[in-house]
Amino acid sequence: MPCLHLDAAEVSFPGLPAPVLHIPRLDIAAGSQVAVIGPSGSGKSTLVNVITGLARPTQGRVFWDECDIAQLSEGRRDRWRGANIGLVMQDFHLFPGLSALENVLLPARLARVADGAIRARAAALLSRAGLSRPDQPVETLSRGEMQRVAAARALLRNPGVIVADEPTASLDPENGAVIATLLLELAAQTGATLIVVTHDQRLISRLPRRIAMADGTVRYDSMAEAQP
Amino acid sequence: MIRFVLADLKRLWAGSVVIVLLVALAVALGVGVSLQERALRLGSARAAEKFDVIVGAPGSETQLVLSAVFLQPAALPLMPGEVLAELNDDPRVEWAAPVGFGDFHAGYPIIGTTTTLIEATAGGFSQGGMFRTEGEAVVGSAVPLQPGEAVVPTHGQVEQGGHEHEGIRYRVSGRLNPTGTPWDRAILVPIQAVWHVHGMGLEAGHDHDHDHAGHDTAHEDEEAHEHHGMDADAPLDEDWHRGALPGLPAILIKPKTIADAYRLRQDYRADGRTLAVFPGEVLTGLYATLGDARQVLAVIAAGTQLLVAAALLMVTVIHVGQRRRQIGALRAFGAPRAAVFGIVWLELSVLVGLGILLGYGGGYLAASLLSRAFAMQRGFSLPVGFTPEDGAMLAILAAVAALLAALPAWLAYRQSPAAALRN
Ligand SMILES: Nc1ncnc2c1ncn2[C@@H]1O[C@H](COP(=O)(O)OP(=O)(O)OP(=O)(O)O)[C@@H](O)[C@H]1O
Ligand SMILES: [Mg+2]
Repeated sequence: MPCLHLDAAEVSFPGLPAPVLHIPRLDIAAGSQVAVIGPSGSGKSTLVNVITGLARPTQGRVFWDECDIAQLSEGRRDRWRGANIGLVMQDFHLFPGLSALENVLLPARLARVADGAIRARAAALLSRAGLSRPDQPVETLSRGEMQRVAAARALLRNPGVIVADEPTASLDPENGAVIATLLLELAAQTGATLIVVTHDQRLISRLPRRIAMADGTVRYDSMAEAQP
Repeated sequence: MIRFVLADLKRLWAGSVVIVLLVALAVALGVGVSLQERALRLGSARAAEKFDVIVGAPGSETQLVLSAVFLQPAALPLMPGEVLAELNDDPRVEWAAPVGFGDFHAGYPIIGTTTTLIEATAGGFSQGGMFRTEGEAVVGSAVPLQPGEAVVPTHGQVEQGGHEHEGIRYRVSGRLNPTGTPWDRAILVPIQAVWHVHGMGLEAGHDHDHDHAGHDTAHEDEEAHEHHGMDADAPLDEDWHRGALPGLPAILIKPKTIADAYRLRQDYRADGRTLAVFPGEVLTGLYATLGDARQVLAVIAAGTQLLVAAALLMVTVIHVGQRRRQIGALRAFGAPRAAVFGIVWLELSVLVGLGILLGYGGGYLAASLLSRAFAMQRGFSLPVGFTPEDGAMLAILAAVAALLAALPAWLAYRQSPAAALRN
């Protein structure tokens, strides 16, 4: 499992006086489970984009183990993300016209890694997420069901890192709990690093380490407090 | 990937249909214009190919060709009848045949001519046979008359104030095979019948001695254009030396050799009484003048295509805009570049390719229908067909479309997935 090391990472946009993200240094050990919290606009999603390679930092380095993903080209970063990161976003980004199972399998199929084992795992993940009809067209699912499909898709390739940006925000508490359990259990089971951006207190309380963001930087880190 | 593309096209079917139709329309327009233009060229060249040299009275060369080859009704000036006898004696001439116009039956032109011309230019009979007497007629394949039926000539076309020749009837003796020329709409009768009907009998030395009454009186008041007797049972007389022949609007000549053709044209062009033309050459000249009109048409077609291309580009841009999020999501979940490229390219290519194929089909269909309508009206077919050039054009078009389809996929990688996912 890879560990994260951010070094002077900065994201700024033209026309804005201050960078929206400014992190001199941040380490997340392999296999740890982290909650990222903070008020709206504090830069949580920007941080997620940077550490998953969805966006390139304006400055600084983003190491996963030895690999600085800030140096990779767009295409290489996509490939790296596909192989290493399981991503759950606030919007589900499912593809209408395909069934739940096909949605789970789509990225693996496009990456040409969908063998029999992967297909079996997709079905198993869906049933574990509590979805009884994997052939149901995805546009007919409820929101809670959609997020379960999205979570199953993120976990399909046994990623070393699971990153979720407000995975339960648009769900009722019950569905939110199901998703949270699914992510936590699977991360624990495989030893994957889990990073969750959330406002959900119940979810936060289940994660050992907390990082609080404000104004684009880390204001509080429970681990730094524990080990000064 | 194919599943994904199909699901996507199904989801966006309305937009997809618009793209396909837009492309099809542009392509059909271009293809239709070029096919039709080619068909016109081929069709009229074919119509003229049996007529090597046409001799007429001095006047418009174009009108002579239009009347003799395309049977366009017009009052042609007449040349002296003796030219026909002269030409028939000329050793450079294989055959020379007069054509006389003026009468119609139900809109079909009645052409006075000779058995020689019919034998030499038509492809044989589908029913019946050649006219054997003055009152018989041979019809072209596009004339809806059967052997044995009657032809009632009117002078000029009825809708243009023509009038009937009282008591004159031809009987159809045979039907010709189709030739694909305007002559398919012609009703061919012996030239002597046309002369007699119009009171232009052989003026002197008319020494047939079949005993019919009306014939001699036929000479009495020619200038009044009275209707004169035609003897339906009189035998054919194709000897042009019996006396002074009436004036003739046109004579079609088959020369023995190409050199003879040039010499004949030279001789009869220089001659003050006549005009001699190669119909092929006149048609070429006609195309040259038509060239301007064709260019206008081509510019219009090109302009329309440009507009449609612009619309297409807009559709592509919108398509990409709609797709930005989708492409961003595909990338976010780790779809490799080749797969994203393949999906976007395949989708646009399928649409544009379908449009191009439909366009070719539509253009062909439109040109064929136009040609069919033209053939029904004018009796001569404009052969619509593709040539290797069209294949090359199709290949170029397909290549350009393939490149264009790659553009959005290429553009997609100029931003990060995070940027693409933001609205
Ligand atoms: N493309 C951009 N251009 C300009 N400013 C941006 C852009 N993307 C993000 N920002 C700004 O960066 C700041 C941080 O945004 P970010 O989405 O990371 O916040 P967040 O902590 O995820 O908030 P929320 O809890 O509402 O999701 C915001 O002030 C936002 O306006
Ligand atoms: Mg956010």
